[in-house]
Amino acid sequence: MARVRAFEYTTAASAAEAVLAVTPGTRFLAGGTNLYDLMKLGVEAPEAVVDVTRVPELARTDTSGPDELVFGSGARMADVAEDPVLLRDYPALAQSLALAASQQLRTMATVGGNLLQRTRCAYFRSTAHPCDKREPGTGCPVRGGLDRGFAVLGLGETCVAVYPGDWAVALLAFDAVIDVLGPSGTRTVPLGDLHRLPGSTPHLEHTLAQDELITAIRVPTTRAGRASTYLKIRDRESYAFALTSAAAALAFDGDAVTEARIAVGGVATKPWRSREAEALLVGGPLTQETARAAGEAIFAEAVPGRHNGFKIELGVRTVADALFHAARTGESR
Amino acid sequence: MNPPLPRVDALAKVTGQVRYGADWVPPGLAHAALTPAAIGKGRVVSVETAEAEAVPGVLLVLTRLAEGELTAPTFLMVGGDAFESVQPLLDDKIAHRGQPIALVVAETPYAAAEAAALVRATYEEEPVSVTLDDPGVEVRDQADVLGPYEDRVVGDADAAYAASARRVDAVFDLPTQHPVPMELTSSVVYWDDGGVTVHEGTQNASAIRRGLAGQLGLPQERVRVVAPYVGGGFGNRNSLQMQTGLAAVAARRLGRPVKLVVPRELMFHNSGFRPASRHRIRLGAGPDGRITALLHDVDQQTSRYDVFPASYTDTSARVYAVPAFRAHQRIVFTDSQTPGYMRAPYEHPAVFALESAMDELASATGLDPVELRLLNDTETDPLTGLPFSSRHLAECLRRGADRFGWARRTPQPGSMRADDGSLVGWGVASAAYKASAAPALTRLRLDPDGGLTVWAGAHEMGQGIRTAIVETVVGLTGMPAGLVTVEAGDTVGVPHQLTAGSWGTATVLPGVYGALEELRKRLGAPPTGPLPRVAAPAEVEVGSLAPGQPPEALDRVIAGGMAPAGPVYPDFTAYSFAAHFVEVRVEPTTRRVRVARTVSVVDCGRVASPVTAASQVRGGVVWGIGAALREHAEPDPRFGGFANADLEGYTVPVNADIPDIDLEFIDEPDPSLNALGVKGLGEVSMVGVAAAVANAVHHATGYRARRLPIRIEDLL
Repeated sequence: MARVRAFEYTTAASAAEAVLAVTPGTRFLAGGTNLYDLMKLGVEAPEAVVDVTRVPELARTDTSGPDELVFGSGARMADVAEDPVLLRDYPALAQSLALAASQQLRTMATVGGNLLQRTRCAYFRSTAHPCDKREPGTGCPVRGGLDRGFAVLGLGETCVAVYPGDWAVALLAFDAVIDVLGPSGTRTVPLGDLHRLPGSTPHLEHTLAQDELITAIRVPTTRAGRASTYLKIRDRESYAFALTSAAAALAFDGDAVTEARIAVGGVATKPWRSREAEALLVGGPLTQETARAAGEAIFAEAVPGRHNGFKIELGVRTVADALFHAARTGESR
Repeated sequence: MNPPLPRVDALAKVTGQVRYGADWVPPGLAHAALTPAAIGKGRVVSVETAEAEAVPGVLLVLTRLAEGELTAPTFLMVGGDAFESVQPLLDDKIAHRGQPIALVVAETPYAAAEAAALVRATYEEEPVSVTLDDPGVEVRDQADVLGPYEDRVVGDADAAYAASARRVDAVFDLPTQHPVPMELTSSVVYWDDGGVTVHEGTQNASAIRRGLAGQLGLPQERVRVVAPYVGGGFGNRNSLQMQTGLAAVAARRLGRPVKLVVPRELMFHNSGFRPASRHRIRLGAGPDGRITALLHDVDQQTSRYDVFPASYTDTSARVYAVPAFRAHQRIVFTDSQTPGYMRAPYEHPAVFALESAMDELASATGLDPVELRLLNDTETDPLTGLPFSSRHLAECLRRGADRFGWARRTPQPGSMRADDGSLVGWGVASAAYKASAAPALTRLRLDPDGGLTVWAGAHEMGQGIRTAIVETVVGLTGMPAGLVTVEAGDTVGVPHQLTAGSWGTATVLPGVYGALEELRKRLGAPPTGPLPRVAAPAEVEVGSLAPGQPPEALDRVIAGGMAPAGPVYPDFTAYSFAAHFVEVRVEPTTRRVRVARTVSVVDCGRVASPVTAASQVRGGVVWGIGAALREHAEPDPRFGGFANADLEGYTVPVNADIPDIDLEFIDEPDPSLNALGVKGLGEVSMVGVAAAVANAVHHATGYRARRLPIRIEDLL
């Protein structure tokens, strides 16, 4: 049985109202698939939540524009995963949503809330165990221990917990930005600046202030979207987080790659993109050798633990496979 | 011949009319929650409950029971009723992670859970040893800790092995696994003048009744256990667990009904599981592939305080014609709760090891894997020299090979490819599972309206025993299914025996058969055909026994105990058999493995209920795929317990992992075992599947799995 401390619950009719309702100890509530779960585990214990699911402006999604795709942060993952423009022109984005969680969870969860999904580390999720992310200073039992599912890139001083999402990985490959509303107005944050490396402060996971609300995600249009894929390798074929994943997108002039976008998931403490790897591909044809070299470039700085070293070779192969999937997807369109 | 009967309770189940244990809400119900210890082993020094007691709605916080209020139960395998001998809240010892240190009862489940989280304690912590290889475990020969056990020996297997032209010597590691039935462990308990009533999903209402009576110091007659439907058993609910007594004490103290649901994470730590086991197989054969010797050494985990026995080698000795056999089984004492009987508890690991070794022998002899298995078929039990009552393993292999298209297999690993470039692997394995049976007391009542009520000492846990009973009655009388009512899973009816070990059908159906015979005699009716009309209700109660059992065996069941017989009976040995064929596809780069199709052919005697039998086989195949590729409860060497104790971390297969499951039954009655010719099915359907998957993976990739599950990193 869940152990949920009593908390205050309010709903907001507008984004501005939601932001103004925030007091210390308040959390925004969207789909609740992660926050409520962590509250039941005793990992999160907000004094109040502000429900933003009834804010009409947050549900607004427009994928028809010539310059950018706009996703209201309150749009449901299940709905965006079936957006016809995404399915046709940005399969990597649609797949990253469709391959996440289960249909029930995707129907609840929002595309904005999903960006800040917290790690699945079992020690983080158990208040009976030490965890530097949940309770700074208590230590981390993962390194040298049961670390099979943990990160090989972006390691903190103690924390090696994986950023678990898929959608943010795909968005990162497409240079997405987020619009954020705070008490002093709106600002725009590149997605690559949203998540923090753990360093010595693993409890700080993102760069938003407590009273800042993600209102929209915007993705610049690119023809590389058509030749794109999101490949997710995991311990079962549905309802599982990635061991390794790769978002890949390509554009060609004849046989030559003119644009390459690669981001990886399941292997790093935050969504991970490598411009060096992308640069290796541009200017020549996509071959087994260049695809593998791109994967190796991403994992060049990877640090294996005790049981997760396989993620490096698997990650390299996932990237290489994803690049070919992406190229084939483009050819069939 | 009647058409197959649909599952009789399917509509009630899918429309939510069936009530499981925790669905009972008696008036005045209070809700309980547990506080687990925060350590893996040691003792509780102090407990602080003031914060918990201050939560509004809290009625009771129990941290130590009063003297004599509840006594520790006796472990199932030494004549008792409990999955382990530890009862929480009796002393300060913490034997394993997840052991409760407090029980909180409140007006709502929310208040109970909140208060349970606020119980604080200080501890003296001790180091834990949780795997077979952890320093600090104790390893002992089973023969030294379990009298009168002796390891099996036939002939001089060491000499025969040494002299064999072809030899396979391999060690296989099988992981800890949890059965994770969908229904959480729970008890709803209330007291009245008659005593105490327990609503709880269980495979063994009698054990809960007798065990709880013993714990509370009551006569058995004052305990009633109600479990008409169980949301999955798989061995997880084969005995008394720790929450029943705690709920009974709380209900008694408060004078109110109490519900206690054990959360999933605590189920992983407070109920039986498949222990880790390690198997060394030495298999010798002549150059022609005929087996000359088999040696099977086993190390198996148990807890520090109960010996869960190792019984692997009885099955590995009986799959083929083995002229010389030697077993050696050892027990490894670890700091977990006591392991238990998870579906095919011994047979799945033993046959995985044997059938993997057989595949290696096929490679060593150059024989086709199906041919090798057919060559070593036997009509005689190698351990006793008795004939098998029925054995259609060869027919299972032949029919399965036909259905699967085995003849198109090319033997070289990696030699078959699919259109999409993925590697194709085809694997086969045999399966055997003992055909046990137990005594039963069955009551029938024929009413003037033509309705027949059957009281059977069985538990419906989804396997379909209610459907099998109705279908049997329909087959023997021709009466419409709608006129048959089954009363099962309530100790107020007839005595209940443990429903496990695949003996349910071969126990209950012969009981129904005998009771119908007696009813006809009583009514002066002919031995076949429709039952006559009666002017007043006619009732019979009839005892039945397994072959060769003395009448006292029935008395043991009536007294609340167990009395299963087999697989060795006075004149024969009885086993069910199966052959499984599996196709896997392996992605050439990422090495992702997918099971593409399976074919299973099963010899379970006469099929009593084709619809539920097919469902059992599909479930068994899913379990085998899970065992081969997915499921591993990860023991945590640092903190004790299991690190992935939820349905996210413990990856049971999902629908997307499961292909089309093709199956066929031999459907030949085994008349030696009982008049209806039925043998067991639930477990043999799982046995061997994991080996067939692993053998298919080898055929696709050349990788020989020496441990399960096979993970992607094994194949990179």
